[in-house]
Amino acid sequence: MKILVIEDDKTTSDHLRQGLANNGHQAELAADGKTGLAKARTGNFDVLVVDRMLPQLDGLSIVKALRDAGNHTAILLLTTMSGLDDRVEGLEAGADDYLVKPFAMPELLARLNALARRPPANSVQTVLRLGGLELDLLKREVRRDGQLVDLQPQEFKLLEYLMRSDGRIVTKTMLLEHVWGFHFDPQTTVVETHMSRLRAKLDRGHDKSMIITQRGVGYRLVA
Amino acid sequence: MLLSRRLFNTISFRLAALCALLFAVILAVLLFFNFSATNHALEDQLRTRVHEDFNTLAEEVDSESSDELVKEFDERVKNAPSPGSYFLVADRQGNKLAGNLSAIAPVVGWQKLPGTVAGKPDHERAHEIWGEGKLLSNGLFIFVGQDAFRVNVAENTLIMSYLWSGVLAGLAALLAGIVLSRGFLHRIDAINQTSIAIMQGNLKKRIPTRGTSDEVDRLSGNLNRLFDNNQALLDSLRQVTVNIAHDLRTPLSRLRNKLEDARQQPRIPAKLGEQLDGAIAESDQLLATFSALLRIAQIESGSRKKAFAPVSLSELAERVFAIYQAVAEDEGRKLLADIKPGISCLGDGELLLQLCVNLVENAIRHTPKGAEITLRVSAPAKLEVADDGPGIPPDQREKVLERFYRLDQSRTTPGSGLGLALVSAIATLHDTRVELADNSPGLIARVRFQPT
Repeated sequence: MKILVIEDDKTTSDHLRQGLANNGHQAELAADGKTGLAKARTGNFDVLVVDRMLPQLDGLSIVKALRDAGNHTAILLLTTMSGLDDRVEGLEAGADDYLVKPFAMPELLARLNALARRPPANSVQTVLRLGGLELDLLKREVRRDGQLVDLQPQEFKLLEYLMRSDGRIVTKTMLLEHVWGFHFDPQTTVVETHMSRLRAKLDRGHDKSMIITQRGVGYRLVA
Repeated sequence: MLLSRRLFNTISFRLAALCALLFAVILAVLLFFNFSATNHALEDQLRTRVHEDFNTLAEEVDSESSDELVKEFDERVKNAPSPGSYFLVADRQGNKLAGNLSAIAPVVGWQKLPGTVAGKPDHERAHEIWGEGKLLSNGLFIFVGQDAFRVNVAENTLIMSYLWSGVLAGLAALLAGIVLSRGFLHRIDAINQTSIAIMQGNLKKRIPTRGTSDEVDRLSGNLNRLFDNNQALLDSLRQVTVNIAHDLRTPLSRLRNKLEDARQQPRIPAKLGEQLDGAIAESDQLLATFSALLRIAQIESGSRKKAFAPVSLSELAERVFAIYQAVAEDEGRKLLADIKPGISCLGDGELLLQLCVNLVENAIRHTPKGAEITLRVSAPAKLEVADDGPGIPPDQREKVLERFYRLDQSRTTPGSGLGLALVSAIATLHDTRVELADNSPGLIARVRFQPT
């Protein structure tokens, strides 16, 4: 992916560039808001990583300027704030995702992947499919190789998100945010609990597990 | 009822009552002097008339024999007894010889006779007779008296008028006391309500002043300045906390990033890799603590209040229950729900979710295996999480709501010690507070919201 990082803190931007390069992405840097906006307008990037606080032009203004100009490049906002009001403000301005600094590199990579290959917003699917797995959103039914899998509502929601992620890694934080609407870190094993139940039910009577745990990173659903 | 009890308990009312009492005593003394002076004057008047009667008699009395005197008296009584004048002639033994009075003990000098001696049975009312007795040289006793009815009536009228004016003055004093203390109470109430609002976290509230610069106004002004100082101190303390957390986050983040970069290096020995993972986890824990501190500070700043909207407490609790029933089960606890549908309150949905989650997680983490936890929502807008675990000793219930406070028994449980502080901050933002009570056995955490 071709990624533009607009970030004024050199340590952070170096860390970002190295991390992105290590994972096969091509990263370009901009150290202030104005330069960043200019580059974002001209370059053909897959994703923009924009810091919230920047010299000359802050992150929110960049997002607004791009969206007003009809530029729909996926944008991920970074912030050092506690993220209560900022998240809402950022998403309202037109950013697609939001990440509080500091973050683990795998978390950023997972989110960038999710942003870059986001399905068009207006695609309405009523049945999601992956390999032998079939999830019917209308009937609220799940079948693996034609066999009905009885899931609790929480497990159904979790599986739906995993299927929509299309084989990409999803992190714990992403699951908490999108499946349960938790914008904070719970102190108990919410994700693990529901994931292990879902896994047990999906894999019952099958040799191969469909849910792969990537230690320290997240989960992935494979056919 | 409560208001009237409060009214009687106010200082100003007690002062008013004391003044009324003092006033009553002074009035009583004044009226007593007035009464006795009037009384004396009336009695003197009557005495003068008795003397006049005596004097007209006196010319004849000494020169005449007893028979003549008796005849003279009889005549006086029969012919022209001036109304209200009474006469009596008696012999040495006290037997009545003449006059319009029945026999009385021959007492010399001024005396007041009860009404029964007037010897007038057809008289409507027995009148007192006041008069003077004299022993003559010839051994006869004469008594000349006057009807004291008018004096008695005047006395009674005076006493009645004094009584009535006393009662009216007392009532007036009482009424004045009530009105004054009501007015005073109103202003004291304003001070109290402002103090309570400030204690509940509404730090911007101030006592209204009238600009009259009286005592209450000056007190209110001084208290307002005290509140200003208090707020400034709190603000700067909060700012310092936020600044420290904020300033330390950046270097910590860099540290964390460097550790992560190192971890990404190829051919790292397994042992070193483990140590690096441990170091990253430690720095993540530290950063999480700072995040929680910043989040509390942001909640306390009250900026979220402007986005308050109706939130369905019932649906929120059902959601938390659906998520945590399995979590509790995996942890060996049983989570039960007792959620009344259709209950909502005004608030911030995201923060209320966190409040509910934190309370449930707190119960899961601080109870032994096998514990039962109940998540309850009831009217009007009450959220409760009750468990049958070890509970919290009463003297520590307030302290566990403070930042970083941890019970001895839970020092070994992982956690930042900020969970309940966050819950408390969220409750304060919603103009309420977290009540921790005995569930005998166990703990019950309760938050009463403003219903919509």
